[in-house]
Amino acid sequence: MLKVENISKDYGPVKAVDHLSFECDQGEIFGLLGENGAGKTTTFRMIMGLIDSKEGKITLDGKKIDYTITDQIGFVTEERSLLTKLTVEEQVKFYGALKNMDDDAVNKALDEWLTRFDILEYRHRKIKELSKGNQQKIQFICAVMNHPRLLILDEPFTGLDPINVKMMKDAIYDLKKEGCSIIFSSHQMEYIEEFCEKLVILVKGKTILNGYLEDIKQEYGIKRIEIIGDVSEDDFSKIKGIQKIEKRNDKWVLHIQSEEVVSKVFKAIQSKKIWKFEAMKPTLNEIFIEKVGGQK
Amino acid sequence: MKKKFWFLTKISLKKKVKSKWFLGVNILFACLIIFLLNIDTIVTFFGGDFESQTEIIILDQTGEVAPQFQTLIESEDNTAGESKRYHARISDSDLKTEKENLIDQKDEKVLVVFEKDPEQYLQVKIISEEKINALDYQILVQAVNQAKSNYALSLSNIDPVELAKISKPITLEREILKDTQSVDESMDTVMNTIFPTVVLPFFMLTIFLVQMIGADICEEKSTRSMEVIISNVSAKVHFASKVVAANLFVIIQGGLLLLYAGIAFYVRNVLSGGNMIGSFTASMGTVWDSLVATGFIDKLWYFIPLVVLLMFVSFIAYSLLAGILASVTTSMEDFQQIQTPIMIISLVGYYLAMIAAVFEGSIFIRILSYVPFISSFLSPALFVLGQVSLIDMILSILITIVVIFFFIRYGMRIYKAGILNYSNEKVWKKFSKTIQNKDV
Repeated sequence: MLKVENISKDYGPVKAVDHLSFECDQGEIFGLLGENGAGKTTTFRMIMGLIDSKEGKITLDGKKIDYTITDQIGFVTEERSLLTKLTVEEQVKFYGALKNMDDDAVNKALDEWLTRFDILEYRHRKIKELSKGNQQKIQFICAVMNHPRLLILDEPFTGLDPINVKMMKDAIYDLKKEGCSIIFSSHQMEYIEEFCEKLVILVKGKTILNGYLEDIKQEYGIKRIEIIGDVSEDDFSKIKGIQKIEKRNDKWVLHIQSEEVVSKVFKAIQSKKIWKFEAMKPTLNEIFIEKVGGQK
Repeated sequence: MKKKFWFLTKISLKKKVKSKWFLGVNILFACLIIFLLNIDTIVTFFGGDFESQTEIIILDQTGEVAPQFQTLIESEDNTAGESKRYHARISDSDLKTEKENLIDQKDEKVLVVFEKDPEQYLQVKIISEEKINALDYQILVQAVNQAKSNYALSLSNIDPVELAKISKPITLEREILKDTQSVDESMDTVMNTIFPTVVLPFFMLTIFLVQMIGADICEEKSTRSMEVIISNVSAKVHFASKVVAANLFVIIQGGLLLLYAGIAFYVRNVLSGGNMIGSFTASMGTVWDSLVATGFIDKLWYFIPLVVLLMFVSFIAYSLLAGILASVTTSMEDFQQIQTPIMIISLVGYYLAMIAAVFEGSIFIRILSYVPFISSFLSPALFVLGQVSLIDMILSILITIVVIFFFIRYGMRIYKAGILNYSNEKVWKKFSKTIQNKDV
């Protein structure tokens, strides 16, 4: 289990991370959200021991993270951290050796992963000759080939098409099943929403939201109703508690103040022909915008 | 961690040595060295005017000077080079006929006319169809003057045995009382032959070293692979591997340069039909004689190890400085700019070593010989010239070691922070703060 306790980091007068705490259990996917410059990469760097935190401590299974256990941590950085002049095989062997893997183990893992990601023919190609998406796959392979206990993914889906996103998602789920703790950061909220059980939202280094995604959504309650059916705006325009009415193609979207409004809307249109009526919790995107926007 | 250190060292070295550029550059080096060491043979092969012999026709109206002048010209010819450049012939003809013979001749001909002169013993005329080159003219004038002196002495009723003694070159004994300067002026031979061939490759290797470290670190930084590497090995181990790899590379490259020089000598020997060994041995014999004559030979047993040690510590200092500077830059272009001062410093050292003999006794140059980065070039040169002592050389080595210590102690802090810094903003302020931070 990764335990981050009260860590902080200053860059001169700027507080990059301010008393951040969270835990990521074994086999859990944890989301780290924030705008650019919120402190996500600094947090990752502190976890990896690349920079020291001003205060607090970071432990993996109760042990302080140092070079004796970094072999067991996989790290996919936001930028492509690959030596572009090397071939795929050379690159993977290079990072494999840094994780104390021998050549046979690297070769075996490389064969498996290249086949899985459908890029076996690129084994002897130079990194610089690969597309961005394929480079990202190689970076991912480098991070996971030794079955890490902790995997840090900083914007892992950048540059990938939907098919490749699906491939990588499946790989991440498999690692989760193996018991790997995964910390995940992304600007694409749908990925966080899909993957993460727990999350932290950072704004300028400060934690503004921390906990289980379901609990957070529950706390926000139902904020929206989506209706498809033979209805018009007049049917619910007089109902109190509706903040905004939107028409998106054939769908009506009602933004409501509280859960009580749901039954009022349902009563008002129950005699009409209705194909869909769904009371929805806020998306993570909505929560993020509300929280981050509110902090500005 | 030891395993990772050697792995990183191997990778850095392999990246450099296995590149096609290394191969290309070394082929070029080999060709250049073979070409330069055989340039005279190559130039001769293609032919030219320089091959023609100058005929010196001696018209002696005194009846006494000609044989001596002929001998003098031939002895000058022996010192001028391997092949005979002059052919001196005593003429029986008259001046008019010989003058006519000079016109429209294929080969270069010079007529030297000796006439008696009641006032100055001799009057000499040098006649040629066209202007002759400065070296030939100088040799002729020297021989004429020498011939005149000998002729004058012979006219002064001096016994021929006595005259031979006067003409014989003097046996010179040289003694310098000050111990630190117990080498004499003959060491110029060593400075002019051996020293440039040692200093120039050292200068080249220094440039290779600085550029290799810089390029390696900049590449890892600019591709951001540094983050993954440093998350698996400490910055200290990473830096040490770069320094060791660069120095190993320099040793390999130095060895290859020696090999190319060996091949070049072999080629020279083959081209000269085996004569080269003789001429090479003769040249080395001259250097060796100088070393023996000056007593420097007795110092070689500690001079050579000290020079090797000084070069070694200087390479380490250069590689540490280059690594630290590379860590604060964010691109190869930045590093190219920031490495310029290192290049200039080493260039200063190189030139000072070359011209050290001209400024004998200069306190300023002596002080510079203690300065790290310059000392590796200058200190051995001054020692060979007898301007600094053994103690001074040891002092230069110790100062460089102290600088290395500071680079490791404080430069390491900059390196650790620098390799993960991608911003060019307030760089110097940032790193001066880093130096003061003991926790980095």
